[in-house]
Amino acid sequence: MAKEESSIAKTAAEMVKGLAGSYAVTLKHLFRKPITEQYPEYKKPLPARSRGRIILTVDPDGDERCVACYLCSAVCPTSCISMESRERDDGRRHAAWFRINFARCIYCGLCEEACPTLAIQLTPDFEFCKDDILKFVYEKEDLLVNHGGRNQEYNFYRHAGLSEKGEKGTHINEKPPVDVKSNMP
Amino acid sequence: MPRLVIDDLQIEVPEGTKVIEAAERLGIMIPRFCYHKALGSAGACRMCAVKFIHGPFKGLQMSCMIDAQDGMVVSTTDEEAVAFRRQVIEWLMMNHPHDCPVCDEGGQCLLQDETVSGGHGLRRYPGRKRTYHDQYLGEFIAHEMNRCIHCYRCSRFYQDFAGYRDLGPMQIANRVYFGRFRDGPLESPFAGNLVDICPTGVYTDRSSRYKARRWDLQRVPFLCIHCSLGCSTVASARYREVVRIEARFNESVNGHFICDRGRFAYPYANLADRPRRARVDGEDASLAEAVRAASGRLDQISMNAGPDAVALVASDRCSLETLAVLKRISREKGWRHPAVFPRPDLEHKTRRAVSRLDRRLAVSMRELESADFILAVGIDPVHEAPMLALALRQAFREDAGIVVMDPRPVSAPFDFDHVAIAPAEIGGCLSRITEALSALQADSAAQGKETRRPEAAGPLRADLDSRIAGIVERLRGSRNPVIVCGTDIVRDSTPDRAADLARLLLQLKARPCLFFVLPGPNSFGAVLLAESPGRSFSDVVQDIEQGKVKALLVVESDPFKNFPDRERLERALDRLDLLAAMDYLPTSVVGRAHIVLPTCTVFECGGSFINQEGRVQRVEPVHEGGIPVHQVSGGGHPPRVFSHEVPGGEIEAAWRTALEVAGYTNARDNLSILKIMAEEHPGFARCRDIPTSRSFRVLPDAGDRPPVCEETGDRAAPEAADTLEVVLVDRFFGTEELSGYSPVIQNADSEPLVFLHVRDAEPLGIAHSDWISIALEGGGLEVRAGVSAQMAEGVLVIPRHRLLEWQKLGPVPAQIPFGRISRAGKE
Amino acid sequence: MTMPAMCRGTGKTGMMWILGFILLLIKLVLVLAVLLGMAAALVLVERKLLGRFQIRYGPNRVGPFGLLQPVADGIKMLLKEDIVPASADRVIFMLAPAAVAMTSLLIFAVVPFAEDLTVRGRRIPMVIADLNVGLLFVLAMSSISIYGIALGGWASNSKYSLLGGIRGAAQLISYELSMGLSLVPIVMVSQSFSLVDIVNAQANYPFILVQPVAFLIFLVCSMAEANRLPFDLPEAENELIAGYHMEYSGMRFALYFVGEYVNMVVIGSLLAVFFLGGWRGPFLPPIVWFLLKVMIVPFFLIWSRASLPRFRYDQLMHLGWKVLLPLSLLNIVVTGAVILVTGR
Ligand code: SF4
Ligand code: SF4
Ligand code: SF4
Ligand code: SF4
Ligand code: FES
Repeated sequence: MAKEESSIAKTAAEMVKGLAGSYAVTLKHLFRKPITEQYPEYKKPLPARSRGRIILTVDPDGDERCVACYLCSAVCPTSCISMESRERDDGRRHAAWFRINFARCIYCGLCEEACPTLAIQLTPDFEFCKDDILKFVYEKEDLLVNHGGRNQEYNFYRHAGLSEKGEKGTHINEKPPVDVKSNMP
Repeated sequence: MPRLVIDDLQIEVPEGTKVIEAAERLGIMIPRFCYHKALGSAGACRMCAVKFIHGPFKGLQMSCMIDAQDGMVVSTTDEEAVAFRRQVIEWLMMNHPHDCPVCDEGGQCLLQDETVSGGHGLRRYPGRKRTYHDQYLGEFIAHEMNRCIHCYRCSRFYQDFAGYRDLGPMQIANRVYFGRFRDGPLESPFAGNLVDICPTGVYTDRSSRYKARRWDLQRVPFLCIHCSLGCSTVASARYREVVRIEARFNESVNGHFICDRGRFAYPYANLADRPRRARVDGEDASLAEAVRAASGRLDQISMNAGPDAVALVASDRCSLETLAVLKRISREKGWRHPAVFPRPDLEHKTRRAVSRLDRRLAVSMRELESADFILAVGIDPVHEAPMLALALRQAFREDAGIVVMDPRPVSAPFDFDHVAIAPAEIGGCLSRITEALSALQADSAAQGKETRRPEAAGPLRADLDSRIAGIVERLRGSRNPVIVCGTDIVRDSTPDRAADLARLLLQLKARPCLFFVLPGPNSFGAVLLAESPGRSFSDVVQDIEQGKVKALLVVESDPFKNFPDRERLERALDRLDLLAAMDYLPTSVVGRAHIVLPTCTVFECGGSFINQEGRVQRVEPVHEGGIPVHQVSGGGHPPRVFSHEVPGGEIEAAWRTALEVAGYTNARDNLSILKIMAEEHPGFARCRDIPTSRSFRVLPDAGDRPPVCEETGDRAAPEAADTLEVVLVDRFFGTEELSGYSPVIQNADSEPLVFLHVRDAEPLGIAHSDWISIALEGGGLEVRAGVSAQMAEGVLVIPRHRLLEWQKLGPVPAQIPFGRISRAGKE
Repeated sequence: MTMPAMCRGTGKTGMMWILGFILLLIKLVLVLAVLLGMAAALVLVERKLLGRFQIRYGPNRVGPFGLLQPVADGIKMLLKEDIVPASADRVIFMLAPAAVAMTSLLIFAVVPFAEDLTVRGRRIPMVIADLNVGLLFVLAMSSISIYGIALGGWASNSKYSLLGGIRGAAQLISYELSMGLSLVPIVMVSQSFSLVDIVNAQANYPFILVQPVAFLIFLVCSMAEANRLPFDLPEAENELIAGYHMEYSGMRFALYFVGEYVNMVVIGSLLAVFFLGGWRGPFLPPIVWFLLKVMIVPFFLIWSRASLPRFRYDQLMHLGWKVLLPLSLLNIVVTGAVILVTGR
């Protein structure tokens, strides 16, 4: 009996402590200086990895990185990327057209994560308003930039086995092609 | 039947089943690369390792190499097996290029799947990767050898299964290479299957290069309509364009594979110059306006000149729906029944063939593979029914004897006895075989009586006797013989003769034994729906010339392609008051029609077709139609306007438009068409009960028909010693109508050759691949000649190739005097 | 005052009557204006305070320091489209918001806000109507206000609204009881139902000193009655979106909104009257004391909103029936015993 009473008392004490504690915290905050930043007057520099408007970057040699592999469009949860792949005359696979409907994009960054060529990248630019929803539909010309974004070095085709600008066997970490007609071991 | 336990599940499988297969039946997919149901085991990849816990084998073994046996207990998830498989996949990936994003296999790649399922993610091996040079393998297939994992599937398919030798393995050990000795197009007409069969992206489809990933495609189980066999495919579309055809496994028709014609013919559906807008007197119009115009003018002509003045022309590429609707409207309107076949003899032979087939006689292609003796008459399998050649090859691999009785220089991926005789002689030979066989049968029934030598049924060459006797012996000795009979070059009575022989064999062996090859994908359906006697297009032309026919409604048919006299046809068509064409191809008729009503392809509206063994196969549309996005946008980004209408989307199935033209506006839904079909032929009533995904045969039971056929006489071919008989034939590429429009196939096609026998060629001084000219009334024909000893003498084999003006030859069978053939100076 | 007297309104009685009427009107308008003005200001105060509690500024864009925010809000509300859902019960849907705003305002009719004024010998009571059953009137009105919520929720014909409405009704019934019972000791001590008498009874000391338990119960219950956090289950945003007023827009929504803020002021004044001695206080004029006391409660409510999470539904019921109700009964017994013993 006594035990029970004491437990009730304990609960009550805890309750009071909890209540008082939370009131105390908020009261303390009341006298702190707000941490709000006054946005349009003051623009905080954002980290490079913030997820805003999307760009398509280029290789170190200036050629567009995107190989139109359809991975970003597959992973995009809002299905806002569409494209058509095409073989360029020099054998490079690239996008005949590439479209992002920013009216649907939720800036989740999954496309960037899926991209095997580092072509598609999100930028810190989040101030993105239009007066017509159709203006949110960006085509490849609108998306392409002339730099490598956050990674200036990577060049997918230097790692791939497919011969594009380089001959077979000249890419990074490759042996020269097998001579199938030789008897030498 | 061995009984074994796999992953704690028990299963009983037939003797000789591999453990990997037994597991698959339980729904357990053991990783594999080299094992393939059609190709069997090779033990090359070591990916299918499982742990045998009890039974005759113990420890880690390759499940594709071991037959299931009683008492086996197998674990696929044993730690040791899993670790082994993880290691194997890591080895396989050691040399694999970093290609997935630019590889067309990605998304449907077995290697990707097994790598992920094997748990291999990060490359640990720091060494360099092996590379290979790639080869040019023709227009169809791209080669990227770096991606090879040495499973040997390709060479096993190409050499063992399909029987061609020009692609195979070279080198040893880690340097094994799969390719040709030197660059060049693959010779096999089944090479396209390499794309399906290679578990990686070494061979990819050039025609659909980079077009889409598997997950983006609209994929529908489909049907090939490029010959009468009706193989099963999977059709894929993207952005309102058909982009890829793959083989689909069908137990009773094509098995796992299809031929290259079926695989690469599809671009006809994407042509930029396909009729997309209705036209009335040369002016673009909406479909509704054009339908109103056609309907009004047809009614007017039927009123003024009688309904008999309106004739319908269809073809065997029309779906059953279209043919049934055309039959219905022609009957109700009193118009002429649709003429489906271009020539009277084709329609006659098809009708005879169809009327002789029944449930007990008909063999499917799969059953054909288990035959032990095959007599093929009047058929060149690779060219007329390509997958038949592959089926015959499988029978051959099981030691079946094959005899081909045909005038052409038949080449096929199997060994056979070629009885090279003229078309006129084939029927006679068949009769003699039948008679000899039945006589022998009668003899053995009445033992001791004197053997009566059969009399020759026709004037036959003496040297044939021994070969015929040989065939009779082999037929008698075989357990499961099959007669394969073509309907193209043979004489009118030959299908009946083949059927007679088959009936006799049925009595003797009690096994189905008759396999006809028909002229087109829906010839069977066309004759089921045709009135008797049917009329062919030549009759229609005659009636136009006599002024009896004033209006022509041509539905998905191109008479210019088949009619032997182009100028006469043009003159006839010019006499017409109304030429209305409904088609999805830019044919010459569409070009000159007063009213053009575009229709949609089978990819856009589906349809039913009956293949040569009476199998009704139905397919759903792959996409909703409309002008491909690519064409609307001119290759750049799609238009930035939004509308509820699909550009070019008003086009409908031919049967729908035909019903509208005839004024039935409320019978255009899918239920009514099933009703119409069932009313036009009772056999189609089952379409209503059987789901589209399943096929069924419309063959009658054996008891339903009169046992003896009517005797048909042959059209006599004028015989003369110094003439060559013209035999017009089909070719793998270039003669079939739809595939002829495919740019891929046009590029891959080789020059058509006209063949004649060495002994006929020598006196004329013609050698192989010389240019010859054939002088005709309608002008000369300049072609390259092929000279062969493996063909009948006295015949000139001319392919109905789209690049040859064979229409100048006039009606067939025709004879050409030697004097008209000469070497041309052209080089 | 009877009807014939009104009609006969002649002579001095008539004059007196008319004067009384005009005074009443002036009081009414004043009270209404102050009340609504306070409600509007409270909206801004709440947002500002909440902001500060959460270390941010709150609205600061409209006018200096965002002072014109209530005006902007008002204009916005007025200009918004008044949407009535197609399947709603139109008449009830349109009337329900009025019930909430009206009852909250009506309660104030019996609240004395200052000492009676004597102008030229004439006593002007600083209350609109000094009912002798004022306390019961208060309880009755606050019960009626639940119709606004329940009917609004029901008439919207939306699942969220309906749930919100039902919750509101259940919550009110549960807490009404304890609220009423918590006031019984006050009546026992002050021996009157009239709010004026209750205030007068606190001439020496405010009742909060003798009835702290009743004070606490009343405070908690009135928070629940006002649907304020942590008792805002009828409009719990994260489960019911906006609960009973989900389908409302424009001025109809504003009525609910105004109702809520007027309610806060009213609760403040009731607390002041019942427990804090009403307008009484040293040095400052009574009206100032009254306003000060009134403002304590809204501040506390806002503070609670910033500090406490929402109750779960079962916790709400548990608190109402198993804690507050027994406690208030006990309080009555104890108070009775004390009165019995001390004889006062
Ligand atoms: S950020 Fe997310 S939503 Fe936007 S395009 Fe990329 S994947 Fe799609
Ligand atoms: S994932 Fe990268 S490379 Fe692939 S299509 Fe998208 S942007 Fe291009
Ligand atoms: S074959 Fe498969 S794993 Fe290899 S690059 Fe192509 S998609 Fe990737
Ligand atoms: S090319 Fe393809 S099918 Fe042939 S061995 Fe290599 S991986 Fe296997
Ligand atoms: S599948 Fe068994 S070893 Fe390749």
